[in-house]
Amino acid sequence: MTIKEKLKQILVEDLNLEDITPEEINDEDPLFGEGLGLDSLDAVELVVLVQKHFGVEIKDMEQGRPALQSVNTLAAFIEQNQA
Amino acid sequence: MTPSDRSLGPAWGYASFYLFIRCGGRRAAYALLQAVCAFYVLFRSQVRQGCLPYLRQRFPHDVGLVRLLQIYRMVLAFGTVLVDRAIAGLLGPEQLRVSLAGRAQLLALRDQRRGMVLMMSHVGCWQVAMSALDFLEQPVAMLMQPDTRSRERHYHDYRGGERPWHLIDPAGYLGGALEMMAVLKQGGILSVMGDRLPPHERNRVRVTFLGRPVDLPYSAFQLASATGAPVVVMFSRKSSADSYEMALAETIEVPAGLGRRPEAYRPYVQRYADLLATYCHDNPYQFFNFFDLWQSDAGQDAVVQQK
Repeated sequence: MTIKEKLKQILVEDLNLEDITPEEINDEDPLFGEGLGLDSLDAVELVVLVQKHFGVEIKDMEQGRPALQSVNTLAAFIEQNQA
Repeated sequence: MTPSDRSLGPAWGYASFYLFIRCGGRRAAYALLQAVCAFYVLFRSQVRQGCLPYLRQRFPHDVGLVRLLQIYRMVLAFGTVLVDRAIAGLLGPEQLRVSLAGRAQLLALRDQRRGMVLMMSHVGCWQVAMSALDFLEQPVAMLMQPDTRSRERHYHDYRGGERPWHLIDPAGYLGGALEMMAVLKQGGILSVMGDRLPPHERNRVRVTFLGRPVDLPYSAFQLASATGAPVVVMFSRKSSADSYEMALAETIEVPAGLGRRPEAYRPYVQRYADLLATYCHDNPYQFFNFFDLWQSDAGQDAVVQQK
């Protein structure tokens, strides 16, 4: 399973996204707001899940803001920061 | 928007209080306050309406003149806090004595370097009481929307001093969630209001407060679960004419990995609501959340047995 596939599975299963399957999430869909509709509490959970599943820590907003734009940006951040 | 949009009175009213404080001190300002509060209670229906949701829960059987007197006491207590803030700002913080119960526990928690969520409420005078936390020698980050539309000032504003805490704007990127996480991960102190209703229903959980269901936020408890920080519930109260008490009510430990489901946080939010209810029983006129917490659908449900 690729990082993007794993991320989509996490989004649907752990963040309880309703009426959407991992396959239906586009890599460029915005994670927050009008995209997938995630909110601030989802952001907190997503940071925790990224660390749990990929061992990558999003330390602050300087890192988090560009990384949490879409599945694409988050996957790229994980790839860059994995040991 | 002009400052008056969210102010409690006209500019000359504020100026009058400042003049009374400077010329006559606390007693003169309190005397003026009593007259002003009586006017507001008698002739401003929105003031009465603002007090009623809480008073109906706290004193469910009272009506008529007794209720009117309760409203007056609540408004007077709130006005006293505003006057005290101005006194501390204009005449100096030494005008108010602030004591703290729980100092040793706070120091122990700080030294654990797990971060700390200070859960405050709209009671007493949290702004003045926060000055009792200087001994922690750590900057406090506070989740609070900067209000430029009101003439009410914090005590440090009166002297043009620096704000003693770092503001995290809930209207900022992702509601300030990443900033708050960063504060806690670095072992810092984050102050939040436990009884402030978030705009999105998804971020609330239904608990019982003063005998009826209310929806309260659980974001602070989720942050605690995500970072391992304890939630330290603190209340302040005015204890005499010139003194305030800040007390650590309880430290709530939230297990890691509770996830995103509101239900997982209900026991912890309920514990906070129970502590707040105890405070309201002990200090019935120092609850200053004028929002109708009970107005949601939850409030229309059958009345829960009064504790």
